[in-house]
Amino acid sequence: MSRDPAGRPEAAPEPLDTRVDRRGFLERMTALTAAAAVAPGSLGAPARAATGRTADAVVPTLPASPRAQATDPAELTLVEAAYLIRTGELSPLELVTACLDRIERWDGDYLAFNTVLPERALDEARRLGRSRERSALRGVPLAIKDNYYTAGVPTTANSHIFRDFVPDFDATAWARLRAAGAILIGKTQMGPLATTAATTPDGERTTVNAWAPFDASVSPGGSSSGSATAVAARLAPSSTGTQTGGSITAPSISQGLTGIKPTMGRVSLHGIVPLTYTRDHPGPLARDARDAALMLQVMAGPDPADPRSLGLPPVPDFVRATEPRAPGDPRLRWRTTIGVLPDYLKGPDPAPAGGPGDDDEAVGEEGQDQVRRRAEAREGARAAFERSQAEIAARRAMLSVFEDLGARVVDVELPRGWETLTSSDFNNVRLPERSEIFLEHLRDDVRNFGVSLSAWINGLLLPATEYVRGSRARLILLRAILDDMLARCDVVAQTTPFPFDMVGLPLIAFPIGFESVSAASPRPIGAMLGGLPYAEDRLLSVAAAYQRVTDWHRRRPADPDGFVRPSSGPEGSGRSRLDLFDVMEVGE
Amino acid sequence: MKRGTTGSERTDLQDAGGLTDEQLDAYILARLSMLGVDLSVLPEEDAAAPADQTRILASARRFLRSTPPAIADFELDALGPPPMLYPSESTTWGRE
Repeated sequence: MSRDPAGRPEAAPEPLDTRVDRRGFLERMTALTAAAAVAPGSLGAPARAATGRTADAVVPTLPASPRAQATDPAELTLVEAAYLIRTGELSPLELVTACLDRIERWDGDYLAFNTVLPERALDEARRLGRSRERSALRGVPLAIKDNYYTAGVPTTANSHIFRDFVPDFDATAWARLRAAGAILIGKTQMGPLATTAATTPDGERTTVNAWAPFDASVSPGGSSSGSATAVAARLAPSSTGTQTGGSITAPSISQGLTGIKPTMGRVSLHGIVPLTYTRDHPGPLARDARDAALMLQVMAGPDPADPRSLGLPPVPDFVRATEPRAPGDPRLRWRTTIGVLPDYLKGPDPAPAGGPGDDDEAVGEEGQDQVRRRAEAREGARAAFERSQAEIAARRAMLSVFEDLGARVVDVELPRGWETLTSSDFNNVRLPERSEIFLEHLRDDVRNFGVSLSAWINGLLLPATEYVRGSRARLILLRAILDDMLARCDVVAQTTPFPFDMVGLPLIAFPIGFESVSAASPRPIGAMLGGLPYAEDRLLSVAAAYQRVTDWHRRRPADPDGFVRPSSGPEGSGRSRLDLFDVMEVGE
Repeated sequence: MKRGTTGSERTDLQDAGGLTDEQLDAYILARLSMLGVDLSVLPEEDAAAPADQTRILASARRFLRSTPPAIADFELDALGPPPMLYPSESTTWGRE
């Protein structure tokens, strides 16, 4: 790749998605068979990764003049911290110490980490502080989701199955971050085996949302819950996650972060505990688009150990994609049309009026219980309606900002067959993949799957005929997205990640506002944009342009002592549980 | 069934087999037994347990009554698309 005088790769004149043949590829590929379904190494005893790349090969140039006004190093963004370390204004030891101090003080409330590595992180910080390497992430601590293999460090995937597992090599994505100078500060809590929000394997909720640490009704998002909370709570500048069904975008939206789920294959899955071969996507959760770009720049690229990452278009300069097209010019870097789906600005019907009704006059213990449940349902519906109204207002404002930045906003119809092709039944085609991966463990003892067992059992029951037909249907879904939805626009605003997760297309999530539940407890509202294959550069550039003229991404939740703690009695201190059917409803 | 029909239109076909809970349970347990997967280590019914046989079987019945029929009823031409495990990656095959 050619490089400019500053040593960074020459930026492509256009984003990578302009080179996608949106319509023609299907006709050319019908003679070909399905892509090889080559899994990462077998569980527990995988083949050693060919991590391959050196720090030199993964060093993007840091943007100049970052905003760095914070006095506490833990408040710095990833880019700010990396830049200040490079210029010698901040030492890795200061940064790691600041993060460890916050972990020690607050993680008893957040429960963001499964494992914290203070001694190892401090040793690394001292070593890297003495180093003269100019690697991009030198001395920056990262929180790594606990399904990424980390050599010599327990990797549990928050499951009974892996509770004693210590890999002897690094997942490729983490190996690249480490080679770029990153320090492993800890492994983050997650949904068991990357299903649902973070709970113990038996379903007791663990990680909380940093914006509502004492309100169990506010989801931290899952399954990369700990990764999101760690970044939102300033326990680490950035983190990694995996997404099979919304597990990067949902926690990013829930906690005011910028997360990107790249196109399938853009980041190697080698050395990451698999959940669903065809839909697992590793990616970063970060404080803003520039941080996400820097993380992805390091994580992305071909890996001989993961065939899904080979033969793809070259990795563009994501970091440059987040910069303005000219100094001081806030407009979008590339001409971009944003598609808006029919339901994007439409909310649910207003909730029924509150207050007791005729049917609330039931008497007796059972009757009182019914009254209570109805009241809770009404309150839930009212809160959901208010949340929806706040989301729609934020979405309208976001689209207006994009128009001011030069975007064209167009209405996009849902493609033919959309409802069927994206239904939960067709989404269930993924289930046999996870059941096959874990078949030996299912034979050994089904109790090891805890509260998420149902999905694995159901996966064993989907006949091969339906699996093949469902896999064929996914190509029809992809064609519908490319030929109908994305034929009229470059990116499309999404309300759910599942369709793009099903076919492996990229998504970015970023904060666009807050719902004012109370002055002390605002809740982030986020947006999600989907793009063409390998459109990560465009998605990052769009989010970065938005963040140049808004400040939602700079807002941080108060520390736990800024919230009202629950009473210390059993009701106040108890952590709620997810039921088996809850997991089926919200699982990956 | 035409391509693109909705779930609500499939109701009659979902029940076409007319299988009872007992018949489905027998099918589920036979399939699991063939694979060597044993549900009997779970409590029969215990709401406090992470999983029990009653809830697992209920979930499996619901799955079998919905997902396989919905997919099987989705008509595809024999010369239609081949199965694609990694759809997005196929877009690279036509790149110049």
